[in-house]
Amino acid sequence: MKKLFSLMLVLISVFGLAACQPKEEALEEVSLTVWASELDQTLMQTMIESFKEAYKDEAIFTITLGAVSEATAKDQVLNDIEAAADVFAFADDQINELYVAGALQEVQENTAEVIAANGGAEAGAIKAATKNGKLYAYPMTADNGYFLFYDKSVYSENDVKTLDGILAKAQADGSKFTMQINNGWYLYSFFAGAGLQLTYNGTVNSANWNNATGVKVTESIIRMATHPGYINLNDAGFVSGVKDGSVSAGVNGVWNATEAQNKWGANYAATKLPTYTLDGQQVQMSSFAGYKLMGVNALTLQPYWAMKLAEWFTNEDNQILRFQERGLGPSNVNAANSTEVKASPAISALAQQGAFATVQNVGGNYWSPTETFGNMIVNAELTLQGNIQEALNIMVQGIVAQPIG
Amino acid sequence: MHILQHLNRYLVKKLKQLTIQIHSLGSKMKKGFLNLFQDFRFGDIYVKLSLLFMGIGFFRRHQIIKGILFSILQIGFILFLIFTGIPNLSKYNTLGTIQFESVYNPITRRNEVNDYDHSFKILLYGLISIIVIFTYVYIHLKNIQTQRKLQLLEEKGVHINTFKEDLIELKDNRFHVTLLTFPVSGIIFFTIIPLLFMILVAFTNYDQLHMPPTKLFTWVGFRNFEILLTTGSNTVTFGYAFRKVLTWTLTWAFFATFLNYIGGIVLALLINSKYTKVPKLWRTIFVITIAVPQFVSLLLVRHFFADQGIMNTLLSADIPFLNDYSWIDFIRQMGLIKANREFVPFLTDPVWSKVMLILINCWIGFPYVMLITTGVLMNIPKDLYESAEIDGANKFQLFAKITMPYMLFVTAPYLITNFVHNLNNFNVIYLLTSTRVTSNQLLANANASDTDLLVTWLFKLTQDYYNYKMASVIGIMMFLLSAIFTLLAFNYTIKSNKEDRFQ
Amino acid sequence: MSKTAQQIKNAAKLKKRIRTVIHNGLLAVISFFWLIPIFWLIASAFNTDRGVNIRQFFPTTWTLDNFYQLFFQTDSVANFPRWFLNTLTVAVFACIISSLFVLMVSYTMSRLRFNMRKPLMNVGIILGLFPGVLSMIAIYFILKSLGLTDSLLALIIVYSASSGLGYLVAKGFFDTIPKSLDEAARIDGATQWDVFWRIIIPLSRPIIVYTVLLAFLAPWVDFVFANIIMTSRDTNKFTVAIGLYNMLDRNLVNNYFSLFTAGAVVVSIPISVLFIFMQKFYVEGVTGGSVKG
Repeated sequence: MKKLFSLMLVLISVFGLAACQPKEEALEEVSLTVWASELDQTLMQTMIESFKEAYKDEAIFTITLGAVSEATAKDQVLNDIEAAADVFAFADDQINELYVAGALQEVQENTAEVIAANGGAEAGAIKAATKNGKLYAYPMTADNGYFLFYDKSVYSENDVKTLDGILAKAQADGSKFTMQINNGWYLYSFFAGAGLQLTYNGTVNSANWNNATGVKVTESIIRMATHPGYINLNDAGFVSGVKDGSVSAGVNGVWNATEAQNKWGANYAATKLPTYTLDGQQVQMSSFAGYKLMGVNALTLQPYWAMKLAEWFTNEDNQILRFQERGLGPSNVNAANSTEVKASPAISALAQQGAFATVQNVGGNYWSPTETFGNMIVNAELTLQGNIQEALNIMVQGIVAQPIG
Repeated sequence: MHILQHLNRYLVKKLKQLTIQIHSLGSKMKKGFLNLFQDFRFGDIYVKLSLLFMGIGFFRRHQIIKGILFSILQIGFILFLIFTGIPNLSKYNTLGTIQFESVYNPITRRNEVNDYDHSFKILLYGLISIIVIFTYVYIHLKNIQTQRKLQLLEEKGVHINTFKEDLIELKDNRFHVTLLTFPVSGIIFFTIIPLLFMILVAFTNYDQLHMPPTKLFTWVGFRNFEILLTTGSNTVTFGYAFRKVLTWTLTWAFFATFLNYIGGIVLALLINSKYTKVPKLWRTIFVITIAVPQFVSLLLVRHFFADQGIMNTLLSADIPFLNDYSWIDFIRQMGLIKANREFVPFLTDPVWSKVMLILINCWIGFPYVMLITTGVLMNIPKDLYESAEIDGANKFQLFAKITMPYMLFVTAPYLITNFVHNLNNFNVIYLLTSTRVTSNQLLANANASDTDLLVTWLFKLTQDYYNYKMASVIGIMMFLLSAIFTLLAFNYTIKSNKEDRFQ
Repeated sequence: MSKTAQQIKNAAKLKKRIRTVIHNGLLAVISFFWLIPIFWLIASAFNTDRGVNIRQFFPTTWTLDNFYQLFFQTDSVANFPRWFLNTLTVAVFACIISSLFVLMVSYTMSRLRFNMRKPLMNVGIILGLFPGVLSMIAIYFILKSLGLTDSLLALIIVYSASSGLGYLVAKGFFDTIPKSLDEAARIDGATQWDVFWRIIIPLSRPIIVYTVLLAFLAPWVDFVFANIIMTSRDTNKFTVAIGLYNMLDRNLVNNYFSLFTAGAVVVSIPISVLFIFMQKFYVEGVTGGSVKG
């Protein structure tokens, strides 16, 4: 009995000691997938390497990068949320659909720091990434909106203050001004500029665009569309038009500004959107502020590291790097305040326009009806003599429609 | 009224045939069950026991390997029931009630997810379970019949196959089983099950607001059909869009099929004519245009005819000998484009795009028909022509009384399949007009476009708007449409079989 | 020969010559129009301008750069050599499996008689009436539950699994082979298995080649299913169809259009050649039937 007891004692102490021995801490193995724009691949790879280096003492990372355009990120993610990347870049107009489908992980690591770094809770970038009072994505760039850029050899600074001025000069010059109106994104400028409402409560939109003011706004749009100095072009048409010299001014975003810069060289200038004539008065065009965000997949198996990675991609240093490599305007306030950034004409134009821009917060039913409405004007199916009120009514009906089911 | 009477008579006849078939099926089933009951009643103890244990009969008759195999099958089925069948089928009436919930735990650095219901998986695995259960029950009951047969064989003293002999039979009397197993399994898993699944989805509310795993969807009965087939739904106009899209689908299929048919025949005749040199060269040239993959040629043509594309640029050049008057001005004067246009909206204007679609489809369609009809033309017996010429027939009579009827007879099946294929011609429409914006607001509110066929509308609804439920309903409609035309057409060609007339 | 007879002969010759000119001239004009887009495709492949050339039909400056970039300068958007390899792999395997399936099913339906034959054929016709794009998401999910998505294996499965449904043409061919051959062989003691492999298959060269080529070409031209299955969006896993289709995406077309045309030219040549071969064998198979008497 005694012998058994002492044997047990020995065994217990041996095992106990073995357990207490300081084991070599095995590093966690973390595997993540990232989706970013096809044009950003080298840049993102650099950032991935620096992330791995920064955290090499905490885990061993395997990070794969895939190419998905930010404009279509939502489609790829919603096709199969489980199979989507852990971290993905998307344009802020998709946040509603991603949020409603439950695809975004709420930012719960360093939330306060992220908000402060991007300008605080009231900043456009943060508002764009917030749903129901909580932050759901990391702001990455603040220049996904649109502004006016023009050829200085055709227009003076005074000309570009009003839409009428631009159109007159364009006609005299024989070239064209373009702003795509069969696109809800740009169409918004006219209606919102006039003070009309468009809001989204999470399920349906509400809009009052078909009141008396709306009719007047439509008339102004039609007058622009029928002006000889105006042409309606989509992005591809815009680029061709700039390249071949037929377009001398246009409203578009940074992604096409490089083409204009190449073509107009020193004559390239950018500024805020002009005012347009509404019922005899000059009204400043509003716009959608655009941001690119980094989102974390709600179904990721590594929420902590995914959030850390997303935060890394959007921290101050990397936003500056992104500006240097690709010319994309940072949302981080410190980065945006640097002289380099401020010197970029596109970014300062956006900053100017920022005073009149609103964060995009619209439901999915906004796009088709506005696109069609604009198309009707472009095709001259809706004219000043036509039944504008009815067309507006049908458009608003589509915008505020309940999603089926 | 004439055609409606025909349709009515036809439907009545078909329904009568269907009832007879159901009756015969019913009586066959009744007979089957009766036989089963008798086998059970008169079988020995082993037959009776195989109701519970599939393999036991085989052991008795010394077919050890078969016995083991069937026992494994039975155990496998029971396991399947426990792990997949019952969990999914028990939730089938609601397709899941527990919503996905995830809470981030900063300490463990993981998301804590509840044991949620995944509606999609429930629907799919439940469907598979139902099929597996039915198949297994069938095998299990058939086994009793087999056991009885074996028992009788044993009593008579006839030799019972060993396993090896059974295998040999697979190569001979039961060769069809060997040949069909793999292809048919492939079809079951990758065509039949997905199809059944989508048909079931048509009765649910699976759309962008109800997407698993984070959201649940459930049964809604016939509501989606209601939305599609009536215009009662006040805010979004699926019913209107359905009627418009259906009309265009039928119009398109008609023109596409018949224009291509006639054009192809004319082309074949032209090439085949005795005045034409190097027919092989001409034929190869036309075949090149269809040999180039469609996603290349059609995407290219889309850019070719774009609003700011090369065709418009060419047209904005001045007409030769006329100053400052371009082709586009000419077209505008003809009233074919609107007054303020500076380009021809080939693929963006509703009317122009429809015309262009049909014409571009001719571009890739004529060569196909030409190939097929060339083969037929070369096979028409020359003596038919010779004897007709001797009788004094001229060229047109030869064509109308000999060539065309022969051609129509041989290519009638092709015409039918081509028509049905054009009803669902995804490539041409999608590649040429997928980026088009409509100016018809009611269509836009249902995510359709003036040039959409049912199939491209369906694709848009699944890919861009995740509206799977409406897409499934449209898919079912497409099936009914194709089925009706196929049946009508086959009936007509069988009835009016003029084979003996020109033989 | 008398004068009038000579005149008649001359008139006939003239008429024939006019007819020849008209026929061939007409064909030449039609062929020209038919080939315009192909000319544009080839011309654009040699264009220095990267975007869609809308100003002129022919490029202002010609270069071979596009082809060079296609093969030797792959980037995150374009990896043509890899795509070619991927598609070739998928095509070869899918082709083998598909052809086997099609031949097995069509032979069974044509030669063998068993209870379920007619019902199975009817089911086959009915299944063919459903639109293929409808079941995309269900197939995707089935593959996902098998853990196969985002792989070339998934593509091979998708392209070949249901190929048995396309048995009609081959069955038509098999029907033309006389049953007497089968019977003679069976009297000599051959099993159905032997009849299939030793007698029928060797006689079916045209239809086998046709089936093989048809199955081989399918993966090269599908841009719908492949796009859905490759969920990781890793461009190295793309097939040629997805890769090229992607290049015309709104964001990329300005920089990649001429690369697209170059890639399209490279991939169209072998496909066209194979297609022309296929047509030859199809015609041979449908009108020939190499067994007489």
